[in-house]
Amino acid sequence: MELATFKQDVWGREVILGASWDLLWVLLAVTFVGIAIHAIIAAAQKKKAMPSAAGERIERHERIDRIFHWVMAASMFVLLITGIFPKIGIEFAWLTIHWVAGILLTVITVFHIIRSIFWQNFMDMWIGVKDLKEPFDQSIKPGKYSLAQKSMHASVTVLTLVIIVTGIIMFALIDTPWWERTNALPENLLGWVFLLHGLAALALVAITSLHIYFGLRPEKLFYTRSMIKGWISEYEKDENHDQEKWVTKN
Amino acid sequence: MPSYDVMPEVQLYQPKDADDALNLADKYRKQGWLLGGGQDTYGWLKDRAKNPSALIDLNDIDAFKGIKSTATGIEIGALTTLRDIIKSPLINESYEVLVKAAKRVASPQIRNVGTLGGNLIQDTRCWYYRRGLACYRAGGNLCYADSPEGMNREHALFNASRCVAVSPSDTATALVALDATMVINNVDGEHEMTAEDFFVGPDTHITRMTALEPGEILTSIKIPNTWANSEYYFEKIADRDVWDFALVSIAMVVKKSENSIQESRMVCGGVACTPYRLDEVEQYLSGNELSEKVINAAAKLAARGAKTLNYNHFKIPLMENLVKRALRS
Repeated sequence: MELATFKQDVWGREVILGASWDLLWVLLAVTFVGIAIHAIIAAAQKKKAMPSAAGERIERHERIDRIFHWVMAASMFVLLITGIFPKIGIEFAWLTIHWVAGILLTVITVFHIIRSIFWQNFMDMWIGVKDLKEPFDQSIKPGKYSLAQKSMHASVTVLTLVIIVTGIIMFALIDTPWWERTNALPENLLGWVFLLHGLAALALVAITSLHIYFGLRPEKLFYTRSMIKGWISEYEKDENHDQEKWVTKN
Repeated sequence: MPSYDVMPEVQLYQPKDADDALNLADKYRKQGWLLGGGQDTYGWLKDRAKNPSALIDLNDIDAFKGIKSTATGIEIGALTTLRDIIKSPLINESYEVLVKAAKRVASPQIRNVGTLGGNLIQDTRCWYYRRGLACYRAGGNLCYADSPEGMNREHALFNASRCVAVSPSDTATALVALDATMVINNVDGEHEMTAEDFFVGPDTHITRMTALEPGEILTSIKIPNTWANSEYYFEKIADRDVWDFALVSIAMVVKKSENSIQESRMVCGGVACTPYRLDEVEQYLSGNELSEKVINAAAKLAARGAKTLNYNHFKIPLMENLVKRALRS
């Protein structure tokens, strides 16, 4: 199984063509096997009592951040569908939808970066050395975000930035209302751009699948609720978070 | 890319009836190559630019041949040769625009064996693509014809989406103008689609030129009575008078009432990846009396929205002049 596919350029030299889309099936299989194994192990473990959703409500996500999250989710979903379906034989006029969704993703990502730097506590999402002990010591509770959540966020950040940068380069190759296409990129550079864009998209399929799975797990549903309604209960916070690491106004 | 000038090893099937052919098409799907007249087959195979594992020769299937009159028009089998279309009294009598278009296909020798279906589903003539380069149309990631050094004199003015290749079919323009319907069969049955929908652009299907799915066979073409005995015009401009593809062509059918146009269809070939219908011109002409002013305005409308490449600017005045000539005729 290769990561990339190759072609001969106009001079007969071998250059990268793009990502190998056979990887999609491998990634999906590995992801869903992993999810199934986790689900089986989780089902076999003794159930802990779930903390009550009653009591004082503690704001976890402001409205603007929740809107950002769901707009990003929608644009990512559209991008993955429009980008991958034609590769697996489901053809339709995808290109315009794809770049419009790509612009949306870029704009909200820039917005999120600015907001997280100037209006949010950037360190809430930073993975520190201490965080790495979390999986190995049940007594360690995380701050606002767990190591798993931070890791998910870091992965999505890197992959999204890769996909945006390569997407912008690819955007120059098509006609838009603002410019006419250019086709002046060297073939080997173009191959790298397509490869990185494709691999990042494939990785996002796996990560998005995991994100949805964990978002729907019973013991994590309160996080999903907080991404919809904004709050978790004081009991949910007490049970899952270190009060000193996550200091709230409430 | 080496030119071997000999056929590669390929399994040849010669089904005797439609069911066998459909089963073979379904079995081999993308790996099966449907063979009609073979005029856009052997070059691909000898150059190793296309490498199917099976050739499905449809020539023994009588059900896919012939021209017959129906209650709503005529039906032409996809395996009917262009020569038979040219000689057909039925088509000559009522749909002469198709005869005119068929007469301008390639050369007499090619028209003797070339089929209507083959002429419709033939692949584009973009030489970068036919050379075997990994362009968008071949599943690659760029268009060589649209690169800064690309030679694109024959390429598209309209509706290019990454790929700038054009439809090479002469009969396609006439059939779109005649509101024809394509009859498509597969192992699950038969369905029809309009000629206009049958030809697809690179925005939807960048690696093929028609809506024909792997495993499907274009079996016949129905032409409705709608435009029977209408006034018509067909002209094709190419570098050579025979054995050449259109730089720009035009097919027009028109219903007139005295000197004003009631309804018309105008379709250009060689300017887009599909036969390019001049909707705005048709709408503008509807109800208008033909005068030089109207003709000139219609010609200007025809090329509106054209996006030229490095070497195909000449197609704009060519297209405009063809519209003028069609209307003056």
